[in-house]
Amino acid sequence: MIHLQGVTKQFAGKRRVTALERVDLHIARGEMVSIVGPSGSGKSTLLNLIGGLDRPTEGEIKIDGQALSVLSDDELTRVRRDKIGFIFQFFNLLPTLSCLENVSLPLHLRGWPRKKIDERARELLDLVQLGARLEHLPDELSGGERQRVAIARALSVFPPVLLADEPTGNLDTHTGAEILKLIHDLHDRLGATVLIVTHDAAVAESCPRTIGIRDGRIVTDVHRELLRK
Amino acid sequence: MMLLRLISWPYARKHRLRWMLTMAGIVLGVGVFVGMHTANQSVLAAFRETIDKVAGTTQLQITAGEPGFGEEVLEKVQSVPEVRAAAPVIEATVSTGQGNLLILGVDMLGDRSLRTYDLEGTDEAIDDPLVFLAQADSLIVTKTFAGRNGLQVNSRVPMRTMQGDLIFTVRGIMKPGGLASAFGGDLAIMDIYAAQKFFGRGRRFDRVDLALRDGVTLVAGAAKLRNLLGPGYEVSPPSSRGEQFEQTSRIYSLASNITSIFALFIGMFIIYNTFAIAVTQRRSEIGILRALGATRSQIRALFLTESAIAGSIGSGLGVLFGILMARAMASYIGNILTDVYGVAQRADGIQVDPVLIAGAWAMGIVTSLFAAVIPARAAAYVDPVKALQKGRNQALSEGESLLRRWAALDCAGMAVVAVVFSRSTVIFYAGFVLSGVAAVLLAPSLTLWLSRVLRPLLAVARPVEGTLAADSLIQSPRRTSGTVAALMLSLALVISLGGLARASYDSLADWMRIALNPDLFVTTAQSVTSRTFVFPASLGDGLRAIPGVDEVQLVRSVRVPVKGGPVMLVALDVGSVERRAKLPPVEGDAASMYRRTERGEAVLASENFVRLHGGKLGEVLEIAAPNGMLKLPIAGIVRDFSDQQGSLLISREAYIRAWNDDSVNVFRVYVKQGARDSDVRQRILDTFGKQQRLFVLTNKDVRDYVTRLTDQWFGLTYVQIAVAVLVAILGIVNALTVSITDRRRELGVLQAVGGLRRQIRHTVWMEAAAIGFIGLVLGLLLGAVELYYAIEISRRDLVGIDIGYAYPFRTALALAPVILIAAFLAAVGPSESAVRGSLVEALEYE
Repeated sequence: MIHLQGVTKQFAGKRRVTALERVDLHIARGEMVSIVGPSGSGKSTLLNLIGGLDRPTEGEIKIDGQALSVLSDDELTRVRRDKIGFIFQFFNLLPTLSCLENVSLPLHLRGWPRKKIDERARELLDLVQLGARLEHLPDELSGGERQRVAIARALSVFPPVLLADEPTGNLDTHTGAEILKLIHDLHDRLGATVLIVTHDAAVAESCPRTIGIRDGRIVTDVHRELLRK
Repeated sequence: MMLLRLISWPYARKHRLRWMLTMAGIVLGVGVFVGMHTANQSVLAAFRETIDKVAGTTQLQITAGEPGFGEEVLEKVQSVPEVRAAAPVIEATVSTGQGNLLILGVDMLGDRSLRTYDLEGTDEAIDDPLVFLAQADSLIVTKTFAGRNGLQVNSRVPMRTMQGDLIFTVRGIMKPGGLASAFGGDLAIMDIYAAQKFFGRGRRFDRVDLALRDGVTLVAGAAKLRNLLGPGYEVSPPSSRGEQFEQTSRIYSLASNITSIFALFIGMFIIYNTFAIAVTQRRSEIGILRALGATRSQIRALFLTESAIAGSIGSGLGVLFGILMARAMASYIGNILTDVYGVAQRADGIQVDPVLIAGAWAMGIVTSLFAAVIPARAAAYVDPVKALQKGRNQALSEGESLLRRWAALDCAGMAVVAVVFSRSTVIFYAGFVLSGVAAVLLAPSLTLWLSRVLRPLLAVARPVEGTLAADSLIQSPRRTSGTVAALMLSLALVISLGGLARASYDSLADWMRIALNPDLFVTTAQSVTSRTFVFPASLGDGLRAIPGVDEVQLVRSVRVPVKGGPVMLVALDVGSVERRAKLPPVEGDAASMYRRTERGEAVLASENFVRLHGGKLGEVLEIAAPNGMLKLPIAGIVRDFSDQQGSLLISREAYIRAWNDDSVNVFRVYVKQGARDSDVRQRILDTFGKQQRLFVLTNKDVRDYVTRLTDQWFGLTYVQIAVAVLVAILGIVNALTVSITDRRRELGVLQAVGGLRRQIRHTVWMEAAAIGFIGLVLGLLLGAVELYYAIEISRRDLVGIDIGYAYPFRTALALAPVILIAAFLAAVGPSESAVRGSLVEALEYE
């Protein structure tokens, strides 16, 4: 599903900083993978490159067999739109839009008919147990509820890949555990490929596979299922 | 200083574009002020310099308005013991085959004691008076004029005179400098008696220039001459001749003041807006500073210093821009004054007045500081604890909005009261200011309300882009309302000036239909306002004898001093005018006013004369004439646009009696029914065209000329409109640039969840369109109020004519696409920057 070959990412500035260096990685369809590493190790950069938010300096990334490097900006956006859902640490909900409108946003951008958008958004908010809070603004919700809305938005077209950047990083332990459970449930039910960048050992260990990154290189790749076997 | 270097400088560097846009308001305001005043001053200075050069050692000049006076006056003046030398002068601007030329008719014998004629080669032309006296076609031209036109001594110069088209001969060439450099060298000398003949002056002089004996003071000499000549003559130093010129350029000064103050006012909004947003964006920075021990006054001083620096740089650039603009403006103003008064005046160089520059600089800095006072105070009162928490602080609190609304209602109420008591100038202008303040105070609330109204409409058009665009406006009223207020004020200015122009054209068209109804106008120049040449009255009989001519009206227009200023006196056959072109009466008995004026018992005053010079019906006017003081009551007030400073209509007989002048400027010719205008015109030209300088203008020619003249006067209005729209565009660009920065994360999210670049562009464009639309709606509404004030100001202080209120719906309609296109253009740059940035950085942006 996700294939990286020799991916390098450097940031230009007064000094050139290498965030990722010749990374090779393969993630199969339906896998749930956590990415761990110290701050500045390159894990968020890796997630951004896989999500098509940024482009590698070298190397190739393929999502569902499609190479991203050859795509124009708009084509890349269409890949994001159809194949990738994002869950951010700080939720990144639009503060002026209600829960329903926030979840509807990607569907509107795809040009879906209003009725279908409304049905899908309600269905998703029901799925994340927020069916009773459709018209609430983000400011009127707790942190956990906001993250649920963000998850519902990420799932709006049931993308095959779900990318989560510290999804529990801005939540208390209890709420974080609830959100993690929700992601697991959704993974089980929808069968999407899930990548979670995290600092939290509990979150990392809850995933069947954990990739460790340090100084821009993959240093560990642990398949718990295989170990158990 | 340390705070400036560590805190302000990095912020300014990071937001360079915004600071440049912010300063652009000041640059424009100061630039327009410096440019227009410098141009005005330069033209005036050039004119004064010219007067000095032409005057030579002349200490006093004797005039009697434009009609001049008889030759006997010269002898009287020369007989005064205090007078050392006195010489007669005739001045006329003529067009030659080689361009326009100011002809100075002088008595070469007497004049050399007042002026120096430094000729190239031999001085035979002036040493031997017979050269001039015996050969009336003699001219002395300047070296500049000769060089420009390839002339030498004995070269021929064609000229259209009252004796027909004649060829003059160059008898001498003046060396550059002194008199020869007046009017940029476009000057020639002719013998006074030849000038009388060729310019139709009869046995009259335009003025007498004189010098006093040593030991006689100007005051004493002038008093002696006034006593001798009586009230019909003016005795004053040459410098006072600039007053007429200054009076004319007064309207330009006023217009330029209004434009520049307006530009600065709008610039002030942009600065306020920028600082208000900067305070919001830098809250955490301010919080950190406060937490580290910075005092409130230090924070306030930091923002005020930033503002002073921005104002100082903006003003400096504005001064440079203004000086550049002055060069173009000087030629424009010079052209207008030339066309209206026949004075060929050019400012060769720009006179930069250090006091004006310093004043403009200070004005820019003070405006900038004033605009930053409220944001600086807000910065000083930022709570460090709250400031260090994440979140926005854009929405106006309900209390703040309520306070503004109450203040706005108070101002509006006081403005209405001021209208009721608007007889007092102070109260009237206070009302004008209060109406603007009320609108500005209401702008945030109205913007918010209109944004909410627009939200569902935009959402229907584009669900995501439209909703986000409207939400951006609703979410950040501070950011939006400043720009909307600037746009509103600009458009209100456009509506008020456009409405004023429209109403003026309508009134003028009405007046032209009534007053300018003759079929043909026989004039001495191609412009009906030129008064350089005059016809003898006898030509009237000749014109009446032309087949097809039904009636001929003789008109003599002269500027004479009345109520302390030069006023246009129009002497004509009042009875005939009543029958043919009765001007609409504004005050007085329509039946008797013409009869009394025709009998020479009274005058008719134009509406603008009464307003501008403070006259009233029945008031006895004292008009100084060579034959004594004329005391005539105002029998009626009529609508007449003959002159911007007002006009008085007098019977021709009364004028001839008082001024001993029966000459004519214009013959108004009515053609018999059945006769063709073109045939009659050709007959007049065939009969008289070869004998003397004569032009026959059709009714359409004259109307077109008046309309063209009016277009020129309103030309500056279009400059003002352009400045206003430009500043408004700057405001929108500024607001959108800030909006893009504020919404960077939001727009990043939009792209992350699948928003295409064009969708991001759409949301920015829609936001710009919404700002434009709201500004347009409020501007058109405020324009309706400002138009009332514009018409009143014009009536009270500018042209004195009540032109009636008519909202310029066409202008309003035309503004909608202009503003929406301007808004779109303003959005192009910001929308591109919104889609070009790094998505990852946008998502991490706080």
